[in-house]
Amino acid sequence: MEHHASLLAKWLTQVLGLSQHPWPGFSHGAALSILERYDHLLNAALAALVAMLITGLVRKNLARIPGPLQQTFEGVVGGLKEMLNDNIAHHGEKYLPFIGTMALFVFFNNLFGLLPALSPGTSNWNVTLGAALVVFGYYNWHGMKEQGVGKYWLHFAGPIWWLAPLMFPLEILGLLSRILSHSLRLFGNIAGEHVVAGIFFGLMPILLPVPMMFLGLFFGLIQTFVFTMLATIYLSGAVSHEH
Amino acid sequence: MKKFLTTAFLFTLAAVAFAQGAPVQKSLFEGQFTAHIALAIAAAGCGLGQGKAVVAACEGVARNPQAAGAIRTTMIIGLALIEALVIYVLVAAFAIK
Repeated sequence: MEHHASLLAKWLTQVLGLSQHPWPGFSHGAALSILERYDHLLNAALAALVAMLITGLVRKNLARIPGPLQQTFEGVVGGLKEMLNDNIAHHGEKYLPFIGTMALFVFFNNLFGLLPALSPGTSNWNVTLGAALVVFGYYNWHGMKEQGVGKYWLHFAGPIWWLAPLMFPLEILGLLSRILSHSLRLFGNIAGEHVVAGIFFGLMPILLPVPMMFLGLFFGLIQTFVFTMLATIYLSGAVSHEH
Repeated sequence: MKKFLTTAFLFTLAAVAFAQGAPVQKSLFEGQFTAHIALAIAAAGCGLGQGKAVVAACEGVARNPQAAGAIRTTMIIGLALIEALVIYVLVAAFAIK
């Protein structure tokens, strides 16, 4: 796949005067600076920074009578709390900080596709794979913490002991393929939407991409919801006790 | 009609195959052509599957509007899981290109 750096990376390359050189085995040997090569990391870091700034702003100006921004965030936190409590019995709110952070990171990354000169960090597989791996590590860690290491790994073997040699590898394969599906879903949706919007922009730069950009806003929201929801479901599967 | 369509399809294939004509002989099913056809088939199947899911969800909400919230959440998760299959093909198409 050919690499398209965002305008921000190109502009920064020019302003900072970074050297451009070919990267072996990448984008047919095109000459790129380090910022253009690791464009996705630049955008992801920027998205994380924006998310931190906005949440910091909300936190600093917490008021008894909430403004529009605080009201929006109260809605988001309330919705996430409700989702966690619905899915994880008794102690769902314990996981709110992690799930909320992932949701905000993914959401701001998705929205970066709509801003000029930026590209969504999540339209690169490396970023979504990172996010999916963090979620994977988190729910396995908490599964082991809640149930105990032995019991957690034993429940992959299934209820019938003589089927365990068959079940265990299959379950482990299923567990590992979750990382793949979790990351590829987000990456494919955002990248596909971004490419289609780009093609529409190439056809006619005025008005034509607007419906596609609206769809991008909608899909960004839906995909954030799906990513968060799946993380919650995996987490609830890992930490819930079987009675 | 069917015969005509088959012939027209074969002619199109031949035209595409001859139009390549470059010294490097590349098979027709190597490269972007495959990606486009695969993505079309995947999108068609995904459309059918998602349509069925949405129909069932709409019927459920119409019969029991109070369950709308739970049904919507479940539907979105289901749609995402169906969509993932197309996304795999899309990723493969990116990789082929």
